[in-house]
Amino acid sequence: MSVNTASYLARRTAQKERVKTLYRRALKDTLNWAVHRHLFYPDADALREKFEANRQVEDIELIDRMIAAGEATHNKWRHPDPYIVPWAPGGTKFCRNPTPPPGIEIIYDYGREDND
Amino acid sequence: MQSLRTTILNHMRIRVPIRGQFITEDMNGMYTHVQLVRACSTAASVNQDQVMDRIVKLVKKFTKIDAAKVTETADFQKDLSLDSLDRVELVMAFEEEFSVEIPDAEADKLKCCADVAKYVISGSNDKVSESS
Repeated sequence: MSVNTASYLARRTAQKERVKTLYRRALKDTLNWAVHRHLFYPDADALREKFEANRQVEDIELIDRMIAAGEATHNKWRHPDPYIVPWAPGGTKFCRNPTPPPGIEIIYDYGREDND
Repeated sequence: MQSLRTTILNHMRIRVPIRGQFITEDMNGMYTHVQLVRACSTAASVNQDQVMDRIVKLVKKFTKIDAAKVTETADFQKDLSLDSLDRVELVMAFEEEFSVEIPDAEADKLKCCADVAKYVISGSNDKVSESS
């Protein structure tokens, strides 16, 4: 029985994690689709309501199926060109001015070494 | 009338960096270029107090939080009674405020304002060292 309970709890934790990740991705995607804040807020509220509607569901198999359905919907509606923070991997400023490798330094004597 | 004026001023306020805090004149009267660039950038400044101040203000503005309870070390989940989805929204707000990308694994570890400040400052230090 205790093994059963432990496995049940482990599964519930995994499900919570999946729901959180799904919500996070979906919320970010909402911002990608709705480029203005005044469009984003109602969309975000609608998304939250969709999640809240199934808050009380207890059946573990049903939850699994719901998460799978939600992930499928999210995959279908994923934005083709999402916003990426400039400094993050894939952003416009990513690795723009990388730190030079250690041991390399610039000597500011402006070519004087040739004349001396 | 006075209150109206302060309200409008609060909204219309333009943040001018105090001279001397960011911009130091060197001997020739020239601004140090790197510091000037840093002062002009909109990204998170490296100053710890300012970062903390911005975080606390942002958390207080969050609609589901009682602003009176917000302190630097108040736990989002226990003290401010947010559920996991609210925390996701809060993390997204932090991402937008400081224009950083917080990965999923890190987002779970941010439990109070101090954690967020630590994360933002460590991230911006990396960025500065990368760009300078």
